[in-house]
Amino acid sequence: MKILVIVSQTQDTEAKIQVSASGDSIDTGDMKWIMNPYDEFAVEEAIQTKEKHGGEVVIVAIGPGRVIDTIRQALAMGADSAVHINGEGFAETDSYAIGKLIAGEIKKLGEFDLIFTGMKIIDEESGQVGVQVAEELGIPHVSLVSKVVEINTDAKKAVCQKEIDGGHVVVEVPLPCLITCPDAMNEPRYASLPGIMKAKKKPLTEVGIDDINYDELGFGKDAVSKEGARVKTISIEVPQIERKLKIIKGDDEPMVKGEEVAKAAEELIKLLREDAKVI
Amino acid sequence: MSNDVWVVVDLKLDGTIRKVTFEALTEAKKKLVDKLGGQLCAVLLGSGVSGLESELGKYGAQKVYVVDSELLKDFNTEGYVIALSELIKQNEPAVVLAGNTVFGQDYFPRVAARIGSGVAMDAIKIDLSGDNNLQIERYSHSSKAIQKQVFHGGTTMMATVRPNSFKAEEAPATPEVISGSVELNPGDIKVKVIELETKASDRPELTEADRVVSGGRGLASEENFKYIYELADILGAAAGATRAAVDAGYCPYDMQVGQTGKAVSPNLYIAIAISGSVQHFAGMGSSKVIVAINKDPEAPIFQKCDYGIVGDLFDILPPFTEKVKALVSEG
Ligand SMILES: Cc1cc2nc3c(=O)[nH]c(=O)nc-3n(C[C@H](O)[C@H](O)[C@H](O)COP(=O)(O)OP(=O)(O)OC[C@H]3O[C@@H](n4cnc5c(N)ncnc54)[C@H](O)[C@@H]3O)c2cc1C
Repeated sequence: MKILVIVSQTQDTEAKIQVSASGDSIDTGDMKWIMNPYDEFAVEEAIQTKEKHGGEVVIVAIGPGRVIDTIRQALAMGADSAVHINGEGFAETDSYAIGKLIAGEIKKLGEFDLIFTGMKIIDEESGQVGVQVAEELGIPHVSLVSKVVEINTDAKKAVCQKEIDGGHVVVEVPLPCLITCPDAMNEPRYASLPGIMKAKKKPLTEVGIDDINYDELGFGKDAVSKEGARVKTISIEVPQIERKLKIIKGDDEPMVKGEEVAKAAEELIKLLREDAKVI
Repeated sequence: MSNDVWVVVDLKLDGTIRKVTFEALTEAKKKLVDKLGGQLCAVLLGSGVSGLESELGKYGAQKVYVVDSELLKDFNTEGYVIALSELIKQNEPAVVLAGNTVFGQDYFPRVAARIGSGVAMDAIKIDLSGDNNLQIERYSHSSKAIQKQVFHGGTTMMATVRPNSFKAEEAPATPEVISGSVELNPGDIKVKVIELETKASDRPELTEADRVVSGGRGLASEENFKYIYELADILGAAAGATRAAVDAGYCPYDMQVGQTGKAVSPNLYIAIAISGSVQHFAGMGSSKVIVAINKDPEAPIFQKCDYGIVGDLFDILPPFTEKVKALVSEG
């Protein structure tokens, strides 16, 4: 099978974040760049699929030069080759343009069976790109797949479980298709040392922003810019919610125990009634 | 292009309309329709949905586009994509809104790609810019930031809205019903549902609830989640959980609150045996009042809650629940 994985690099949002001087983005100065966590599940799922059914895993990524670290990580985990759409300024465009660009490169890779990608990226948190790539490629997608139940390479179909509000569904989808991955779908592996060594020698194709045939994509190069974006971010703020931090503790040690328990429960209810007025 | 504003109806598995639809209709009327000067329209897609039009009229829908087809059963993504894209192409509305539900997140971006529109996901505010383009606010960066985004215009502008962000208010209208303009073919549906398992629950839906009681890994078993359900039921609250609890099999996935799961912003969020990870807070950090019960005084949640008790949940919850119950029955 040929399995593609769309991966992104993102800022580690575990960290404290700060608005940049321009006021329309987050300051990335001191931030760590990591593989989007949801894409880690996608890479893992692709590698496990390859281990079961044979074939190859191709990474497709878009972004500036630093994205190479994320690509290498995916290759070190066990992917076989990668395509990097390398350029600045993609962060300023919208997911519509990103989806088109990625789909455009995928079309050049020939036939494939499956595409995995994360359900969303943890900075923008939009969750559109995967679904939009599927649309551009004219293949079906199944989003938020909690479990790939079965892949039948002869019948060219996959069976996936996905969670919905109030239950779950199992769907059957013909290949090729695109699957978006939530967390907890699997346990992403760490790259081993030999894996990291091997990754350096794996084939990597670079596509420059000027190598792209915009006519073929059906939209102008100016769409890949802040001005051309169908939706653009004009400002961003980091709201500070002041919390009251009224914490009830025990007298001798932090934990409330024994006879203190009833009193603490009483006190909390009083706070919720009189201070917060929520019950 | 017309000046109409559309709201795609969000249906529950039982065929009733989700509150977010009424919230979106109300907010669209207030913030968009009056200024744009078009009509407020609802789009009703599903199987056996006729009959719901009058309910949409109650919240101000002047027109209801209906596609009623067996092929739209069980929230069929492809069916929805075809039906909605066709309707948009035929009528060219200015704005199309839908709820940011699990299903909305699935089909909406695909429709946008098909018709070449921009789309913004999970708006908590909607408005118009000076030149009458859609302008929205939404959370980003693990919900630590709020972005303001504006549309370029020129094509239909699409956005999903977060449930519980706006107030639904009745504004009765008698809608004109338009149906039969889209035909679906069985051959268009490639993804087939082969099993659908639903569980009925009497509790409110997480994203709609005014109060939420959630449990974390510290609950230690599925059996112990009864403590969560009991307190939730007394408070008329929805029941939620962390990924760690879902992962451990203590409760189903649709209870997961957080970056991957549901985003909630109730008036009251009670977190029991939850450490307070960034990913969990991404889903509930905007709650008005956050209460924590945790036995570890160093748990990060104690740095970002309003009220709390440092204590063992198995000690604290029984008397707490008992007292809340007494209070509620007093009225
Ligand atoms: C990509 C990604 C996405 C994620 N998405 C989500 C998401 O959507 N939602 C989510 O919740 N998590 C998510 N996570 C996981 C998240 O990082 C945390 O691991 C998770 O939230 C922790 O859950 P917890 O607080 O229940 O468990 P823990 O962090 O283990 O905390 C358990 C707490 O219970 C307390 N405790 C234990 N026993 C008792 C007792 N008897 N009485 C009182 N207190 C007790 C402990 O002191 C501890 O603080 C995601 C992670 C990743 C990588």
